Amino acid sequence: MELRRRTFIGAMMASTMLVRAGMAQETPTKGGTLIISQADGTPRVLNPAVQSGTGTGLPGTKLFATPLRFDENWNPQPYLAEAWEVSEDGLQVTLHLRENATFHDGVPITSDDVAFSIDVIKNNHPFKTMLAPVTSVDTPDPLTAVINLEHPHPTLILAMSGPLMSIIPKHIYGDGQDLKTHPRNSEDVVGSGPFKLVEFQRDEHIILERYDGYWEDHLPHLDRIVIRILPESSGRTIAMENGELQLTAFESEPTVIQQLQKADGVTITNDGYGGIGPIDWLAMNTTRGPLQDKRVRQAIAYAIDKNFILNALLFGTAKDARTGIHPDSPFYNPDVPTYEFDLDKAAALLDEAGFPLKDGKRFELNIELPGFPGYRSRTEYVKAALAKVGIEVTVRSYPDFASWADVMGKMEFDLAWDNVYNWGDPVIGVHRTFISSNIGNGVWSNTQGYSNPKVDEILALAANENDQAKRKALYDEFQAIVAEDLPLYPVNATPLYTAYSDNVGGLPKGIWSVLDPMDGAYLKA
Amino acid sequence: MTSKNETGPLNAPTLSKEKASSPLSEAWTKFRANHSAMVGLFVLVLIMLGAIVGPLLYPTDPFELVWRPFSPPGADGFLLGTDYIGRDLVAQMLVGARVSLVVGVAAAIVTILIGVAVGALAGFYRGWVEEILMRITEFFQVLPTLLFSMVIVALFGASLLMITLAIGIVSWPAVARITRAEFLRIRELEYVTASRAAGATPAKLMLKVILPNALPPIIVQAALMTGSAILFEAGLSFLGLTDPNVMSWGQIIGSNREFILQSAYTVTIPGIAIFVAVLAIALVGDGLNDALNPKLRQR
Repeated sequence: MELRRRTFIGAMMASTMLVRAGMAQETPTKGGTLIISQADGTPRVLNPAVQSGTGTGLPGTKLFATPLRFDENWNPQPYLAEAWEVSEDGLQVTLHLRENATFHDGVPITSDDVAFSIDVIKNNHPFKTMLAPVTSVDTPDPLTAVINLEHPHPTLILAMSGPLMSIIPKHIYGDGQDLKTHPRNSEDVVGSGPFKLVEFQRDEHIILERYDGYWEDHLPHLDRIVIRILPESSGRTIAMENGELQLTAFESEPTVIQQLQKADGVTITNDGYGGIGPIDWLAMNTTRGPLQDKRVRQAIAYAIDKNFILNALLFGTAKDARTGIHPDSPFYNPDVPTYEFDLDKAAALLDEAGFPLKDGKRFELNIELPGFPGYRSRTEYVKAALAKVGIEVTVRSYPDFASWADVMGKMEFDLAWDNVYNWGDPVIGVHRTFISSNIGNGVWSNTQGYSNPKVDEILALAANENDQAKRKALYDEFQAIVAEDLPLYPVNATPLYTAYSDNVGGLPKGIWSVLDPMDGAYLKA
Repeated sequence: MTSKNETGPLNAPTLSKEKASSPLSEAWTKFRANHSAMVGLFVLVLIMLGAIVGPLLYPTDPFELVWRPFSPPGADGFLLGTDYIGRDLVAQMLVGARVSLVVGVAAAIVTILIGVAVGALAGFYRGWVEEILMRITEFFQVLPTLLFSMVIVALFGASLLMITLAIGIVSWPAVARITRAEFLRIRELEYVTASRAAGATPAKLMLKVILPNALPPIIVQAALMTGSAILFEAGLSFLGLTDPNVMSWGQIIGSNREFILQSAYTVTIPGIAIFVAVLAIALVGDGLNDALNPKLRQR
């Protein structure tokens, strides 16, 4: 096999040391219990191989190890795999597993488990595009796994990190039961990560304990991680303020963020959310009424004062987002057409599109208020802002997520605020919104009905391009086209913040925030 | 509230039987003598005037962006200031008064219709009809009202009609119980027996013979119900269960809630309005209670 790149163990060791050194300015203390919050409510299961989302990912990434991890510069780092290489033609990715890794029941982790896990994820995980090109996994020896691909698949490297490729034990899960409903997904979990499951109390807590057989003897530093299930933001804020909670992540309410910023002895940061990569945008159904005309969509963007949303409604807690790719992603292109607030331009475009002002009105549209909290002020603002250019907007609200998701999935909307996650690589979380083969395929598909052969072509090329620079160029072009066509108006990166007490050290610095093994986290003496 | 109205008539002092004036003008005389009730009535009339003619005299669209956000009351020519996206609070309050009062009155009517129907049937027919209807009433009475109304609104959508119906559906048991108590008492009176002997149909007996004499406590209940329905609507709006296209006082509070630390006045102003309106209605209700109930003794 011709090798294009080989990551040597020595180099790998050095880089790991660097990452660790960056995390810990002082000597980490051993032991102690870290109490963190789970804002997402009780996760359905604890096994990220069959379930996406932060709810499962938070405990799941501590229970299960992945082949790789990613540093804050989006570079892959060794984890369960000590080294890896991609073949010249890009059709084979070889993983060299570390020798002394064991599952929580003491059974060694082998390439058989990796092959099994990849098969399980490919067949059960909701992110279908993530492993779609994987044809088979060869296991020439217990520590070598060779992933065979139908075509070059640059996404694979990222898809081996964070909550995306948990290595699960074949001797537990390979018993023929359906993996999605396997009882061991939440009970008696035998994981591969630095922490093992002690207790999972629904609506209460998940208690994790240091796995003594973890391959790095001195890690993890912590004895225990207690994940308290606290879906109410006010409860989390109070618990942070009085020290009952040492870390809370995925905080997205601007007022809560402001309150946590003021809390004593608490540090708050929005670093580390590039991998999850959530974006808020105003979706526009390109298949309905006046919105079929690009000029109408552009006019709507001109009529909305983005700075007002960022500064007044979100209190400056959110980053500007100009495209469907998260601003923290290496593929983000900020040099795309933008729509500075301009009512005259908006009016001119609407006139040009054949919707003149008659008795102060041009046409009517609906806007869907999402079935999850946080978008009411922005929805009311859009209604008021578009009235200024003669578009009469009716707000339709939904009591729950399911009924809203149904309307979105069936594309029975005109305008809607939506919140979509990148999940690390554009192939996983970005393509789905723009490719014409995914129109109206449920919520968070191409619900805008956007179809542009040129975009389809570019995205297909980018999905196969192993050369990072060429891939970036393709995504740059894609973002420019979409910002012009505007099937959706990206407004901001969803504010997501992590707040932690000053006595917590060694927090993860990668792209997955706390969806990380957290083996380096410790309590300061 | 309920028990007071149920027992009130029985405890009321016996009045002299010679009265020349009509029952209505007599009640008005009594009501007028009640100072707090008169203050309540005066305030209520003011609010209603504001609701009816206010939006005509002050035609600003409550949804329009008229000025910069968070302009405090009095500044820049906006009497009550602007809300978090720059909409005029005066316009919102005036239109909101309309919606809040209409919801209050409509919900009270729904409550009375259901409550009186159930209470009248139960009190008139007694026996198994009463058993079944009163068990149903008790079932509705023990449901937590706010939670139950939230479920109804969540299931059928947050339109103004649905919110009104939801408030009515969770509030009728009190009215049903009062009506039944009145019917039980009145159906035994001699004039009812006389009507029955003269061949009046059950429908006529219920609607024409008994109901008019059972009305006073029901009217009082309707007045009080209007106040609590306004509160209810505000509560649901606060929780986000509201029609975002209709401006009510609760809606103003609900949509500005997130920004309470930036501009307390946007929440305080509608809050005070709700407080004052509900208080006025309660005073009027109490006045009506005092004015109407002693009449029952006379009959």
